[in-house]
Amino acid sequence: MRVRQYGSVVCRIGRLVRSIAFLPLLLLSGCSAHSLSRQFLIFHPAGPLSGADMRFTVLDVAVMLGIIIPTAVVTTFFLLHYRKTNTTAAYDPTWSHSNVIELVVWAVPLLTVALLGYYAYRGTYAVDPFHPRLLKVAQAGPGAVPPRLRVDVITTDWQWLFIYPKQHIAIANELVIPRGATVDFHMTSATVVNDFFIPNLAGMIDVMPGMRTEQVLVADKLGTYKGYSANFSGSGFSWMGFKTRVISPKRFQDWVQSVQHVPLHMDYAQFNAFAKPTKNINGKTYEFSDVKGRLFDQVIEGVLKGRVYTTQLPPPGSA
Amino acid sequence: MTASGGMESGQSALWEPHYHHDVIATRTLGFWLYMLSDAMIFAGLFAAYGVLSHTYNAAGGPVLHALVHPWTAYAETLSVFASVLAYGGVMVALKRGSREGVLAGLVAAFLLGALFVGLEVHEFAALFRMGIYPEGSGYLSAFFALVMTHGIHMAFGLLWMATMFFQVAAQGLTDKTVYRLLNLKLFWHFQAILWVLVYTFVDMRGVL
Amino acid sequence: MVNVQGPWSPIFGRLSLGAIPDNPIIAGAFIFSVVLGILVLAYLTYADRWGYLWREWLTTVDHKKIGVMYIIIGLVMLFRGFIDALMMRTQQVLADGAHSPGFLGAAHGYLVPYHFDQIYSAHGTIMILFAATPILVGLMNVVVPLQIGARDMAFPYLNALGLWLTAVGAALIMLSLFLGDFSHAGWVGLTPLTELAYSPGVGTDYWMWAIQISSVGTTLGAANLIATIIKMRAPGMTWGRLPIFTWTALSTNIIALTSFPLLGVALGLLGLDRYFGTHFFTAGMGGNLMLYSDLFWMWGHPEVYFVILPAFGMMSEIIPTFSEKPLFGYVTMVAASFAIAGVSWSVWLHHFFTMGAGPRVNTFFSIATMVVGIPTGVKVFNWAFTIYRGRSRFETPMMWAIGALFMLLVGGLTGMMLAMPPVNYSVHNSVFVVAHFHTMLMVVVYGILGAVTYWFPKVFGFRLNEPLGKRFFWTFTIGTIMVFIPMYTSGFMGMTRRLDYLTNPALFPFEVAEELGIGFYLVSVYYFVRQLYVSLRDRNANRVGADAWGSARTLEWLAPSPVPFYNFAVTPRVHARDELVWRRGQGLDGVAPTHYEDIPMPRNTSVPLVIGAFALGLGFGLVWRIWWLTDASFIAIILTVIARSFVRDTDYVVKAGEVERIEKNLRQRAAEVARAGAAAGGIDVLRPRESSP
Ligand code: HEA
Ligand code: HEA
Ligand code: CUA
Ligand SMILES: [Cu+2]
Repeated sequence: MRVRQYGSVVCRIGRLVRSIAFLPLLLLSGCSAHSLSRQFLIFHPAGPLSGADMRFTVLDVAVMLGIIIPTAVVTTFFLLHYRKTNTTAAYDPTWSHSNVIELVVWAVPLLTVALLGYYAYRGTYAVDPFHPRLLKVAQAGPGAVPPRLRVDVITTDWQWLFIYPKQHIAIANELVIPRGATVDFHMTSATVVNDFFIPNLAGMIDVMPGMRTEQVLVADKLGTYKGYSANFSGSGFSWMGFKTRVISPKRFQDWVQSVQHVPLHMDYAQFNAFAKPTKNINGKTYEFSDVKGRLFDQVIEGVLKGRVYTTQLPPPGSA
Repeated sequence: MTASGGMESGQSALWEPHYHHDVIATRTLGFWLYMLSDAMIFAGLFAAYGVLSHTYNAAGGPVLHALVHPWTAYAETLSVFASVLAYGGVMVALKRGSREGVLAGLVAAFLLGALFVGLEVHEFAALFRMGIYPEGSGYLSAFFALVMTHGIHMAFGLLWMATMFFQVAAQGLTDKTVYRLLNLKLFWHFQAILWVLVYTFVDMRGVL
Repeated sequence: MVNVQGPWSPIFGRLSLGAIPDNPIIAGAFIFSVVLGILVLAYLTYADRWGYLWREWLTTVDHKKIGVMYIIIGLVMLFRGFIDALMMRTQQVLADGAHSPGFLGAAHGYLVPYHFDQIYSAHGTIMILFAATPILVGLMNVVVPLQIGARDMAFPYLNALGLWLTAVGAALIMLSLFLGDFSHAGWVGLTPLTELAYSPGVGTDYWMWAIQISSVGTTLGAANLIATIIKMRAPGMTWGRLPIFTWTALSTNIIALTSFPLLGVALGLLGLDRYFGTHFFTAGMGGNLMLYSDLFWMWGHPEVYFVILPAFGMMSEIIPTFSEKPLFGYVTMVAASFAIAGVSWSVWLHHFFTMGAGPRVNTFFSIATMVVGIPTGVKVFNWAFTIYRGRSRFETPMMWAIGALFMLLVGGLTGMMLAMPPVNYSVHNSVFVVAHFHTMLMVVVYGILGAVTYWFPKVFGFRLNEPLGKRFFWTFTIGTIMVFIPMYTSGFMGMTRRLDYLTNPALFPFEVAEELGIGFYLVSVYYFVRQLYVSLRDRNANRVGADAWGSARTLEWLAPSPVPFYNFAVTPRVHARDELVWRRGQGLDGVAPTHYEDIPMPRNTSVPLVIGAFALGLGFGLVWRIWWLTDASFIAIILTVIARSFVRDTDYVVKAGEVERIEKNLRQRAAEVARAGAAAGGIDVLRPRESSP
């Protein structure tokens, strides 16, 4: 599968970046290099989309450093060499113009920006959350078309609800997906704007009330990854994290079946109770069975009709 | 008189005595700049109106053709332009240096402008009676905000005109009153142009 | 009017004793402010300075004094913003990991989330709108009329009004500390978090009205500066000879004049939502919350270039002076400024690439954003070529300018990263962004600190202490590096911004490094205050002549230092781009006019201050929904303006004899300075006479 191949290129770049990035950090921390390097979430892509994000980061930095470093070096050299106390250096008290230099000075950034602009175009289309070209290319290739899974995401003040509409189940503050499947997310917020972000798997995309945004991702590696909201949404924001578990398709089936039998249910009325402002300080997760298929649309409609899950006035200067 | 006072000619050009700025031109430029910033306010409001003027934004409430009355809007247009014309009379009188002419022109422009504001108040009162308020929907919010901002500008213009009436009556045509009359002309024309835009993008669209 | 939660009374609005916070930190700040206030008042009374203060400062229309007051407000707010930063950093270092301790009712650290959120919102708002902006406007006020040989600004009275409106905004923010609370939705005012439903308190209203009132002031100031530059230039000051700082002032004020009104619209519509219950930015009922982001950033992005362009101008003045060589590529420098100003209008969407606009839109704004790198790069290279074959001297202003240049390289590099959507998707709203914009805003702060040191002697007649200035520079720079470089790293570790609690204990070393950086900052503030004190104490040893640096180039250095209230006794005629260099070259820099004449000057007036006082009443009434106060203040403002328009004798004349007397005194003093300088080995700027710290 081409997605895989892509992944291995990414891995090699990732290793390179890692070995450079954590050199200075060794000085700062007593942790072993390996575990610290693991902390650089966006340099450890576990899927093609985050891999592309990383590749473009490296590209961009490389191109820019190609200009910034010489500029810094030359400027420093000029400053030191042409210092007043250095009486041997040339002094040209009226020189202030040169057509050649002007030309170079405009042309170099212009060409660089043209190059970066091309990459920006490529990159933006490659990871476009609605139709990532990257996945389209991969899936057009030979081999079995990977299965697709649809997940509806609703944020509240300040929890995450992930609904699996086909499976009629939902899970709060934790996301479970099978490896290798293309997961389509439809996202909305019941209250204010949040931002869906799983650094190892997919870049950010806003989650907005009364609207639907989308994100697509494929996870290549089993594991548990951090996910959280990246857009400030009020007092409970710091605790708005969710675990993302990437498990094998087989175990995913088992998990779905087990959730389909849990006692908690979820319809619109129950959602409205769930959506009361809650700071999830202890990282609680909940599973729901018998989830109504239209819940996602109902939440959007409710918000459009002016439904708000209000906050109480906190006493001034405290709470 | 020279500044050099006995210096060699090479140095005489170092200083420029009796150098004065054209006060009225500076003030007029300043006012143009103010109008540029005011135009940006309207640009923002028009943009907001553009974004919020889809049926979708009416949230099931009334949309444009329920809000605008072509005949009232037409009458408002006429009164704005008549007022601008009357203000032209102020300018003519100013050229002639006739204080009475200026005062008479101000009264006429004021009355016609007041007619505009009165019509608009009347129009909105009717909407309110029908239970149509800015709070109704995003659509209504944008509609009222745009039209009322223009209306408030008109009301301030009237206040300015009244002030100028008393100032010219009390102080005559001095440097200060003259530049203010000139700036008021700019302001009044500007409001007329804005009304044309409101008329085109709001009222006409509601009728067509 | 919409109903609000909690009690309301017709006389006091929402105001009640409960509005006074019972937090010990705020109580401490309150006691500190009260004591400081009492000390200042006591000093003024004791030294019998009230009349002086009223006559010479509060009612002044002199552009230099107004500029100085702008700068003082800005520095005080910079200090307040720094205290906010200190509190944020301390919270984050304490609240890292599930086992981190909690104090004062917080689960982790010592600040509950709601309080922490107010702090960064206040910090961002203050730093950008009440520290950087006023100091820049102040510097433009001081310098631009002098650089173009004008007597004053085009509208001196409006100028004072702008100052007092800015002061009202700052006062409202300070008030929010002790009465009620402040917005918790960031300096950008995230919708719909700022809507009444999610921010029912007065905090958002404080934020909104403080900005709204002060930005009226900034807009007035912008129109004033543009008119001044266009209409008040001395004869011979053609566009091709305009000093580069004035050019950047022109470009930047064009940005301000056209973009601040959009901020006004964004906040005004938000205000309608909060006060009248309209639906501009609500999620439901047909509102569109993204419209706010568009309107806000249509101002917000131009605003960051509004603050950087004057800083570029300052660097473009300082670097040639201390390289003893003309600015390289004057024409392209001007073109680059206007290119930046122009493009700044078409990039706003890069602040919300993640909102899910299609790839075509994101690509467009990405490339438009990167295009700004071209003219900025031209500026950097031109500065480098100004230094090339010059004679660089490392006096304090030059140090700040060089520091700014290097900050610009780092900030530009990271800006170019953020400008690329695939990169942005993984670091948007992370502390990487925080590090990017602080590095950039540091260009502004460095430019400001350099410019204050550079032009200080022009206004006050003596130079600031060099060794202490250097210490200030180095401690500040170490602080900057230690605070913001680790932030770039933690951004890659996935740390988002605006967190009052960090889940990831691996971030701890970085937090500690940043806290140490704050320590260096604290020391730097000490050096700054000490520098002011020592310089003031030894001012007689540090007096300077007209050209304070011995190698200055532009027209303002031709006027005596300190500049008399009428600036140039006789308007100078301009012959060259670097007029002072031209005159020096001809041996004419010491030649004074021999004949003086009457100078008409605007009279001092208390009207701007009075309008400011009413504006404070208006803002306060709006925040607390005290309608009688609001209405009364509004009517009072209008009546004051009308009444003022009836006043006829707004000017007076300084007689030629008086001018001659003042000028003679000034020349005598300059001669003394020169003699003292000669005694100490001549005014050799290479070795400025320094007094020990
Ligand atoms: C010009 C703008 C500016 C400046 C200068 C600064 C300066 C600093 N800022 Fe700030 N900052 C912002 C603009 C600015 N900031 C904005 C816009 C935000 C975003 C807010 C939001 O999220 O909504 C932000 C957010 C922000 C955060 C929040 C990060 C987060 O969201 O998680 C932090 C945290 O550390 C921080 C730290 C600092 C520090 C340590 C400084 C230091 O550099 C401060 C250094 C200053 C000094 C050392 C003071 C020197 C004082 C004098 C010279 C005068 C002394 C005068 C007297 C005594 C009278 N800033
Ligand atoms: C003074 C302030 C200032 C300045 C000058 C800049 C300059 C730039 N900024 Fe920055 N920015 C901010 C202040 C500033 N910014 C603030 C306050 C925010 C966040 C607000 C918030 O959310 O709270 C922000 C956020 C921000 C974002 C959004 C981040 C996010 O939220 O996801 C982006 C994305 O594109 C961006 C990009 C840029 C770019 C490309 C430049 C360019 O102008 C940089 C150009 C300079 C160079 C490139 C360096 C010099 C050039 C050379 C040496 C030549 C070689 C260069 C090339 C070949 C290109 N900025
Ligand atoms: Cu942008 Cu919804
Ligand atoms: Cu920007």
